[in-house]
Amino acid sequence: MNEELDSQLSAMFDDELPPAECELLARRLSRDEQLKARWGRYAVIGAAIRAERGVRLNAGLASRVSAAISSEPTLTAEPTPQPEKRFNNRWWQPVVSAAAVAGVAAVSILWLRSQSPEVTVAPSVAQTSVLPAGATVAASMTGSSAVVPVGAVSEPDSYVVPKSPGRRLVVPSTELANYVVAHSEFSSPVTRRNLLSAFMASESGTTGTSAGSEEPTEDVQDDAKNPQ
Amino acid sequence: MSADVSDLSLVRRVQRGDKGAFDALVLKYQHKLVKLVMRYVRNPAEAEDIAQEAFIKAYRALPQFRGDSAFYTWLYRIAINTAKNAVVSRDRSPIEYDLDRNNTDESYDMQGRMKDPETPEGLVLTDEIRSTVNAAIDALPEDLRTAIVLRELEGLSYEEIAAAMDCPVGTVRSRIFRAREAIDRRLREVFEGGLGRVEELG
Repeated sequence: MNEELDSQLSAMFDDELPPAECELLARRLSRDEQLKARWGRYAVIGAAIRAERGVRLNAGLASRVSAAISSEPTLTAEPTPQPEKRFNNRWWQPVVSAAAVAGVAAVSILWLRSQSPEVTVAPSVAQTSVLPAGATVAASMTGSSAVVPVGAVSEPDSYVVPKSPGRRLVVPSTELANYVVAHSEFSSPVTRRNLLSAFMASESGTTGTSAGSEEPTEDVQDDAKNPQ
Repeated sequence: MSADVSDLSLVRRVQRGDKGAFDALVLKYQHKLVKLVMRYVRNPAEAEDIAQEAFIKAYRALPQFRGDSAFYTWLYRIAINTAKNAVVSRDRSPIEYDLDRNNTDESYDMQGRMKDPETPEGLVLTDEIRSTVNAAIDALPEDLRTAIVLRELEGLSYEEIAAAMDCPVGTVRSRIFRAREAIDRRLREVFEGGLGRVEELG
């Protein structure tokens, strides 16, 4: 037998043969009975050196497995292309992730809007109906008075938008203007100009309420001056 | 060198319908697999039966093997599962139950003997193989003996052996091959001349 071939077989047994040579030798090994017998003896030598107690080195196990496999159907199909299949099945995963994130963001925005204080500029009457004085029940909810018609069955449904308590804006216009200026890098020039114009317009009517809002109150200034 | 390259080349051949390549895989791993199964069953014959079943299961499942893990790792998992199932089904076996309930160490030993086809001749051959290999290793030059022992006993790669022996990887490959050839010459005499069981080598 070719010594070089046996040397390759020994290296292949140890997983130390280059892949290209492995391919060629594997083909030969599967067909050459002498080579296969030598391969089997290499395994016996290893088992004997490791002194694998209880393992019979002449058991004939390989012969029995070979006989059993011969009655099995031959594997003709190529290996299942699982990695490619998995890749194909994953194309929608980023889409689903993006949709989930967008959904959470939308719900959060809606929830935040529902939680933020309502800014009402002026009360307006959608439809006013004059009801008898004793036929109304005033419900006081959220600090506003609502007029609910009671007993006015024959009259058309109507409601009155309650008067605004006249509370001031939660965030003064000046602070909003400062906020817009400070974050101007994130807004377009047109939007920024429009916002500032709107603030300036509203500022003329609410000067008294928003003035001095940037300055800390006297109490805060005292705390800063006299830390305890 | 990437590990498991030779196994993978054989596996690919089996997946393409070459049953002979599977014989090579069985020849290579049969002893390790039987040793593994013997952690679960004591009887060598039963361990061989389980190993045989594991090999057949592996063959049937080979189309699903993608090579993500080493072949022997995959094969060992199959063998362990097969051994565990065999132990469970054996424990649930009514025959086993009757024997156990009727006692006794004696009946258990008898059952074990019935399952164990080990013959005195077979035991002699296994012992002779071991003693032949050991004698052949003792007769090897020091550098060959060190190389083959580091490879087979310690499981070192050629590169690690080269570092340990302070020689090129090619020299390691040559030394291991020559050591195997020297041992194999003695071993063939046992199989061919002594007890004439070449066909039982597998």
